[in-house]
Amino acid sequence: MDVTLRVFRYNTEAGRTKPSFDSWTLTDVDPTDRVLDLLEFVKGYHDGTLSFRRSCAHGVCGSDAMRINGRNYLACKVLVRDLNSTTITVEPIMGLKVVKDLIVDMEPFFESYRSVLPYMINDDVPADGKERHQSIEQRERFDDTTKCILCAACTSSCPSFWGDGKYVGPATIVNAHRFIFDSRDQAPGERLQILNEQEGVWRCRTAFNCTEACPREIHITQAIAEVKHAITSGNVD
Amino acid sequence: MTTFMASLRTTLAGYINYRGREGHYSFLLHRLTGLGTLLFLTIHIVDTATVYWMPELYDHAIALYRLPIFMIGEMGLVFSVIFHGVNGLRIIYQDMVKPSSWSIHTQRRAARVTLVVSILIWLPAAYIMARSLLAHL
Ligand code: FES
Repeated sequence: MDVTLRVFRYNTEAGRTKPSFDSWTLTDVDPTDRVLDLLEFVKGYHDGTLSFRRSCAHGVCGSDAMRINGRNYLACKVLVRDLNSTTITVEPIMGLKVVKDLIVDMEPFFESYRSVLPYMINDDVPADGKERHQSIEQRERFDDTTKCILCAACTSSCPSFWGDGKYVGPATIVNAHRFIFDSRDQAPGERLQILNEQEGVWRCRTAFNCTEACPREIHITQAIAEVKHAITSGNVD
Repeated sequence: MTTFMASLRTTLAGYINYRGREGHYSFLLHRLTGLGTLLFLTIHIVDTATVYWMPELYDHAIALYRLPIFMIGEMGLVFSVIFHGVNGLRIIYQDMVKPSSWSIHTQRRAARVTLVVSILIWLPAAYIMARSLLAHL
């Protein structure tokens, strides 16, 4: 099939200081090709200056979140046939500054991520001196939020984040949830306090774009609601 | 100021251009109906206040509300209040009572049902208002 690929361009090094779109007509596209394949093809055969991030190409590293036909996806996970359209428009994710073409400055996103202490905090020596045991149910409690790959598809689809770049955003809350509900962790209170601040969970307006956009199918809005509950009840079971 | 303008631009571009699903549009409608209700309350407080401060103006204001354009606007305002209320109850229920209902399937259905319920509640009121609008023409 033939596909028209329209790609957002902004590249000060190449003198493209005004955001604009380039488009290419690609023939022989297989419906099961991924959008990333199309971008790689254009970069390889049409325009080597086209810039985008990708690393694993298998939905694991979280490098290539993009807005494709208006919606956030990982370019390496979305197939041409899933888009039901022969015109495919690729734009950078929203709410983060565009550096070059499809590449945005992820630093504010990671800064927010670091703010909730996204690591295990427990200075006690385990009871048997070796391991910290957990029941199946205790491990299950936060299983969903361990799946996050920090691609920012959720945060950059969030209306609250568009309006206020200081809002910690869904991805940060998901990663806080992963430790808040971990029975081995000793600092849930600290994280809940951080998320109870002005730019914390209460900025969430349950627009649900995050859950729809998550390439790992994490129940993000649910995780955020659970954190809200934990804050109001002080209960992290 | 420039960051404010930039985030305002991103926000509006996102509202309009982001192709979200039910949740996105229900969020937008909630915003819009919230602003509609706020506008209504503001106008209502101001016009009622004129009874005390300038009674002649009050009569004038009441006459204004009899204009067809205002009567159509009032029908929209009634919808705003109803949708904002019903959708608010949905969000309270999902967020505070049953967080596990934030699954894609349930949320999409809940958002659709909310819209239908709001319209059903609004219809009788809209009918009465439309009748008096027609009587006025
Ligand atoms: S390239 Fe690694 S997630 Fe898509």
